[in-house]
Amino acid sequence: MPRPFALRAVAQFLPDNEVAVADLPFTDQEWETCRQLGVERVRADDTLSAVDLAVNAANQALAQAGLDAQDLDALIVVDSRAPQTLLSSEATHVQALLGARRAVTFGVGGQGCVSLAPALRAARAFLADEETAEHVLVVHGSKPATPNRYRHPVTVNGDGGQAVVIGRTGPLRVLDMVQFSNGEYWDLFAVEFRDRPVGEWREECADQQRYSFKLAMETRNRLRELYRDLLARNGMAHGEVHCHLGQNLSEASLRFTAESLDVEMAKACADNLRRYGHLGPNDMLLNLTAAIGGGELGPGQRAVLVGASPVAAWSLLLVENGDSGATEHYL
Amino acid sequence: MDVRAELTEFLSGATGDRIGPDEDYFAKGLVNSLFALELVTFVERRFGLAVEVEDLDLDHFRTINRLTDFVRMKTAA
Repeated sequence: MPRPFALRAVAQFLPDNEVAVADLPFTDQEWETCRQLGVERVRADDTLSAVDLAVNAANQALAQAGLDAQDLDALIVVDSRAPQTLLSSEATHVQALLGARRAVTFGVGGQGCVSLAPALRAARAFLADEETAEHVLVVHGSKPATPNRYRHPVTVNGDGGQAVVIGRTGPLRVLDMVQFSNGEYWDLFAVEFRDRPVGEWREECADQQRYSFKLAMETRNRLRELYRDLLARNGMAHGEVHCHLGQNLSEASLRFTAESLDVEMAKACADNLRRYGHLGPNDMLLNLTAAIGGGELGPGQRAVLVGASPVAAWSLLLVENGDSGATEHYL
Repeated sequence: MDVRAELTEFLSGATGDRIGPDEDYFAKGLVNSLFALELVTFVERRFGLAVEVEDLDLDHFRTINRLTDFVRMKTAA
C-alpha cells in the first residue's frame, strides 16, 4: 500500500487586481465560446511574475505552519508555463527569494495542470528517503503563457500562487494517488514563440476534433479506470467518497467529469471557476481548501481530487480531512 | 434492430438538425466534449457495447454510416 503523507498548510496568493473576462481581447468566435465557460473574472497583475506569485504564497504557507524558510528540508517548484528567462533556474530563484538555504531544491513538471501530482510524489519520496527531514514545501506560480489569457475552446487563465507545506503529520492526509499519461498528445496544445513577438503568442490547439472527441473520450475511460483502481486499493466503495473536486477549466468540463465518473462535483469548483478562472496545477488544492471552508468536506471525510491535462495526463488524489493527523506519523 | 435509423434519430435530436447518412457532423463543428460523451454513452447503452480507448478512431464516429458499421463490427465480435 502507498504511504500517506500530510498537508500541514495550504496557502493561496491571489493578486488584488481583477479583470472581467468580457474585457479581455477576443475575436468574435472566441468570445462566443468564452462566454459559455462559466468564468466571469480573473486575477491578473502584469507586474508579478510566476516566481513572485509562488514566493508570496510560500511566505503565507510558512507563516500558517509556524515555520521559517530555513526550516525547510526540501523545496519543490512546479515549473511555470513560460519562464521569464531560458537557461536560468526558477526553482533556485524561489529558493533565493525565500532564503530557504538548507532546502534541497528542484523543479517538477511536464504534466501541464496535473503537475501537482508528481510534485506531491516527489515530496513523499523525499520524506521517505530522508529520515530526519520534516518539512517540504511545494510551490507554483500560475501565470498564463500568452497575453490574452485564453485557450480556445477550453478556458481562461488567471494569475495565482499556491504553496503547500508537506510533512509527516498534519490536518489533511493524502492517502493515495494514481496517475496515467499518454504521450500521443504531447503537442496537441502549444504556444509557438521563437519566431514572433510576445504580443502574438497564442495557445493553439492543433486539432480541435481530436481534442473534443478522441481526447475527451479517452479522458472518460482513463478517469474511470483510475477511479476504480484508487477506490479498490483503498478498500472503498463508490459511495464512500464524500466530495469530488476537479479543475477549473469550464462548467462543461466539470459536468464532463461528473458524468464520466457518475458523481457530483463540489460546489466550490464552479464558484472558484467563476471568480478566478483556471489556475493550472493550483486548481485542485484551491478547491479543496474552499470545500473544507464551505462545509462540503467535513472532519474525517474523504475527497477525490480529479486532474486532467491535454498533454495528456490524468491524476486522482485521495485526501482525508482531519482525524488524528496532529500526532500520528505517516512516513 | 435498425442501427442506422436509431443513430439518425439520436443525432438529429441531439443536434437539432437533420443529419444525412454520410454527413460529417464533426466537420460541421457540432461536436464538443459533452456531445461526444452523450453520443458514446448512447451507443454503448443502446447497443450493449463498450467503447474502449483502442476504438477511439474519429473515422469510426464521424458519419452515421461509419458509426453504423462500427456498431455492427463491435456487436458481431
